[in-house]
Amino acid sequence: MSSYLDILSVLLLLSSFVLMANKRIKSHIRTFRFQSAMIALAAGILGVNSLIHEGRVDLLVVCAVIIAIKVIYIPRLLHRVYANVEYKVEKDFFLNIPILILGCCMIVVFTYFALSKTDGINTGTENMRVVNSVSLILIGLFFMISRKKAIGQIVGFLVIENGIFVTAMFATQGMPFIVDMGMFVDLLSAVMILGIMVFKINEKFDSIDINKLKNLRG
Amino acid sequence: MMHAVYALIQIIVIILAAPLVNGIIRKVKALTQKRKGAPLLQMYFDLFKLLKKSVVVSDVASWIFRAAPYIAIASAVAASLFVPVATWPESQGYAGDMILFVSVLALGRFFMMLAALDTASTFGGMGSSREAMISALIEPSLLVTLFTVALIAKSTSIFQIMHFTAGVGIPLLHPVYILGFAALCTIIIAETSRVPVDDPSTHLELTMVHEAMILEYSGRDLALMELSASIRQLVFITLLVNIYVPHDQMIALYGLSGFAAIAVSLFVYLIKVVLVSILIAVIEVHAVKLRLFSIPNLAALAFIVSFLGFIQYFVLGR
Repeated sequence: MSSYLDILSVLLLLSSFVLMANKRIKSHIRTFRFQSAMIALAAGILGVNSLIHEGRVDLLVVCAVIIAIKVIYIPRLLHRVYANVEYKVEKDFFLNIPILILGCCMIVVFTYFALSKTDGINTGTENMRVVNSVSLILIGLFFMISRKKAIGQIVGFLVIENGIFVTAMFATQGMPFIVDMGMFVDLLSAVMILGIMVFKINEKFDSIDINKLKNLRG
Repeated sequence: MMHAVYALIQIIVIILAAPLVNGIIRKVKALTQKRKGAPLLQMYFDLFKLLKKSVVVSDVASWIFRAAPYIAIASAVAASLFVPVATWPESQGYAGDMILFVSVLALGRFFMMLAALDTASTFGGMGSSREAMISALIEPSLLVTLFTVALIAKSTSIFQIMHFTAGVGIPLLHPVYILGFAALCTIIIAETSRVPVDDPSTHLELTMVHEAMILEYSGRDLALMELSASIRQLVFITLLVNIYVPHDQMIALYGLSGFAAIAVSLFVYLIKVVLVSILIAVIEVHAVKLRLFSIPNLAALAFIVSFLGFIQYFVLGR
């Protein structure tokens, strides 16, 4: 089981790099969907394990909720928001892609050195999964500040949330059920509000480029 | 004595199987487009036809232009000697390490670029400048990928690395190896002028890279150039399948030895090569040709994938 989780944590990290290298919003959404499917798979593996050894079913429920919300509902919502706003082909990011990817690489190295100094969580292979998932959070943050479009920022926010969830899951082998559910409800309402806001920004400014928010409009 | 026999089998297998890989890739591509496609052995026919024809050389070309096809094929065959195709009983025969392997391949490529510049045609200069850019971008990730497995196996000899990974079990279930596998797949596509980087089946001046370099060649020289390109492709595929999907363990499991083991090993190796060529063809069908200035993005991704594998090795500490 442990080697499957290792591979899943690496694939999660890899998907965040692919996300960084993508240019178009549709491929952002597709990569996010892939990443969430990986998380659901990891939760499923941990869930089956805890069902066999301790008789708990809550992680399997969490897995089902992840599939329902993050793999199906949110990507569809983002596609709908994206279809509604006016689309212009333009440069979406502040730096060019190789520099962004090298920046992500620096983040992973930084996380590795930062976490190797902390006690408690660096016991054996747990450490590697925690390094990967904490770097996922930081890469999500970096993704958010590197994109100009509002939808890109929503995707960055979702990646941060994915990273937090995975960190908690890998570090504790499953959080209390009520905490997980609370996080999902939070996430769902946040994404819905952000979707409506994107729509409103587009209506007001004729673009979803957040740089235009600085302009005055009467 | 035995080493010479092994080396001979190795060279013969690589040279004979190399055009077949191209045939399979073309066939799979044709089938996905609902065409019947050329026969699997088409490239052999082409090569025989070209070998019979005489050579036309521009009268302003220097000796580099005439020597380049021979240097290219010599370097490709020499590089193939570093990468064993099957289980050999003795391990001493394969001297030389991966740095030499990469530089022998680079030597052939260097002379190919010089020869393209030699006739001073516009396409040649364009093709060789693009080829120089792509190879400069891709080579770091190839080296980092190889160094990661070398660090794990504690040896830079490719033969020793293959011996080591054969003892790992299923390497692809390990994060370091799966990242190396993904990186090497990307590198193969870029090194062998496949679709996202270069389109081998077009003669459109805007997009061609490899074709632009061999545009001036004809007859026997063209055959040698094409054969050396396909040998290089097979050498990379061999590197991929024998490091990351080793089959030595399976042969040992059935208790075979001697020439029976070598025959079975060669057979399994050929099956793996066919599967990887189908994989490459599928990737090629699904990808679109990248803009030339988007290739650094792909190269950055390939480098990062290999570098992540490198980091994971240190994080895991094994």
